[in-house]
Amino acid sequence: MLGVVIGISSVIMITAVGQGVQKSTASEISALGTNVMVVSAGAARTGGISLGAGSASTLTWEDAQAIAKQVPAAKSVTAFLQRGQIQVVRGNINIATTLLGTDLNYKSIKSLQPQEGLFFSQADLDAGRPVAFIGSKVRDELFSTGQSALGADIRIRGKRYTVVGVAESKGLSAGQDLDDAIYIPLTNMSSQIVGNNALTGVAINGFWVEAADAEQLNSAQFQVTNILRLRHGIKASGIDDFRITNFVDIMSAFNSVMGSLTLMVGAIAGISLIVGGIGIANIMLVSVMERTREIGIRKAVGATSGSILSQFLTEAIIISVVGGAIGVGLGIALAYVAALLFKFPFVIPLWSIGAGFGLSLVVGVLAGGIPARNAAKLNPISALRSD
Amino acid sequence: MANMIWMEGITQTFHLEGMDLPVLKQIDLSIEDGEYVAIMGASGSGKSTLMNIIGCLDRPTSGLYILDGRDLTTLDDDELADIRNQYIGFVFQQFNLLPRLSALENVMLPMIYAAVPRAARLSAAAESLTKVGLSDRLKSRPSQLSGGQQQRVAIARALVNHPALVLADEPTGALDSKTSHEIMDLLTALNQQGTTIAIVTHDATVAAQTKRVIHMQDGVILEVEK
Ligand SMILES: Nc1ncnc2c1ncn2[C@@H]1O[C@H](COP(=O)(O)OP(=O)(O)OP(=O)(O)O)[C@@H](O)[C@H]1O
Ligand SMILES: [Mg+2]
Repeated sequence: MLGVVIGISSVIMITAVGQGVQKSTASEISALGTNVMVVSAGAARTGGISLGAGSASTLTWEDAQAIAKQVPAAKSVTAFLQRGQIQVVRGNINIATTLLGTDLNYKSIKSLQPQEGLFFSQADLDAGRPVAFIGSKVRDELFSTGQSALGADIRIRGKRYTVVGVAESKGLSAGQDLDDAIYIPLTNMSSQIVGNNALTGVAINGFWVEAADAEQLNSAQFQVTNILRLRHGIKASGIDDFRITNFVDIMSAFNSVMGSLTLMVGAIAGISLIVGGIGIANIMLVSVMERTREIGIRKAVGATSGSILSQFLTEAIIISVVGGAIGVGLGIALAYVAALLFKFPFVIPLWSIGAGFGLSLVVGVLAGGIPARNAAKLNPISALRSD
Repeated sequence: MANMIWMEGITQTFHLEGMDLPVLKQIDLSIEDGEYVAIMGASGSGKSTLMNIIGCLDRPTSGLYILDGRDLTTLDDDELADIRNQYIGFVFQQFNLLPRLSALENVMLPMIYAAVPRAARLSAAAESLTKVGLSDRLKSRPSQLSGGQQQRVAIARALVNHPALVLADEPTGALDSKTSHEIMDLLTALNQQGTTIAIVTHDATVAAQTKRVIHMQDGVILEVEK
């Protein structure tokens, strides 16, 4: 019985963990959106995909604005200039967080909803005012619960900023924690925090382009490349000083990874099915051999081979079904605990329950039935002699 | 009187590593209905082999065996199972009880294969255990019983389907002399009620209680006393 339970529960648990990890990876990727791409400053990298924003100042806000105007496939464009580990002080609280200078479109592309106050305004952006829209994690660190952050003053790199709004929690996007960040007008970021080093215009790390859908995104990518080359004077044979990361590409790359992951999970499940099957078969075989003497006793008092066989088959089915049910229950419970511990979605594929149960039944009946049939055919005295 | 057992030219030959081992050689034997017989002989003389054939636990290599007027040599395995169930009660030296079942359940076993309804099984098994003096141990497992008590459970099991023939292969072999007497008293009383009984034994005091002693040597019947 124990062998049956272990075999079945391991099948259920392994497939559940496999599917859970697969699902969580898939949902993390699709959260990025299939209709956005990021154009970042710096030379294009061949091979490998980098999600990090470029650091060389080869892109300007003016580039981003030109794209917004001249690329019809681009529904929305938002430029960003960002620095990590920026010191932020409020009273005697001192933290380090990501500071991101951007424009108003950032709010919609990243769907940052204020839970309190507002995102900064066009007027704030135009005038380069020292106002800050802060992520929920930053708020939690700087302000005590129940305390309103609105209108409060904080110091970023020693300069005074007024909090105009707090974002709702969003979690990770493209590897960045949107909650652990402060959003300020790009103009202010450029002049007060970073210091402009572009030859012409306002230097940025890059910009996001949002298209209507995945198909539009491909034409947008083509047009963006052409316009940027033109603006930067790069010839057909030259090397781009920007790179475009298209999340459709990433999706398809991940989909193929996912495919092999699915295959691997399937293979592991298959192996655990085989191992479970061997365990069940072994237990059934041993139980029949141990009970050859019992078969002899029963035959001596008048049992026919048929009644012996039906007794052993009934027992095998009961053990398989009960053991299978306990195994399914235990497997589900273990998968649930694993999902809680390792934070992936809890999914039990129905086929794994079916496969586990079916395996238990088929192997149980075969491994219990075949040796029982052989033992039942012995004459009573041979069965009685076995010890 | 009618014959319970009629055997003519029974042989049993075992095959061990390519060698033929003749254990019973042309046995002719008759036991009448209601007889009380002991089978004696040296170890290895073939007593148990003969008992197993009489009890339909094994088939002879050749020969004729008629039990209560039925030719058993022509029966198939299921029909022999039915004969064991209905005609024969077998008592072994090593008791051969099922360790996981209670005394009551062990005694009910032959009736399960006789398709007796459960309620009737329960009362008949309890009655049979009462006859052997174990009415207070119905729920005990074999491991909770003494050797003598286990053998009494085995006798109750052998009697429960009211067999015409009770066979006992060294039933007292594993018991002390006092307990042996109790077991023999049970079998003697059973014979007085009309059941045909054959006992294999090495013990002369056991054989003395029976009415006829068959001596075996090297697979043949040497002499018949009384
Ligand atoms: N299944 C078997 N296969 C091979 N040889 C067997 C088998 N059963 C019995 N024998 C042999 O047959 C011979 C007679 O055995 P049997 O058990 O009938 O003797 P027995 O008279 O009952 O002896 P004991 O008094 O020791 O019980 C022995 O030599 C034994 O080894
Ligand atoms: Mg013997």
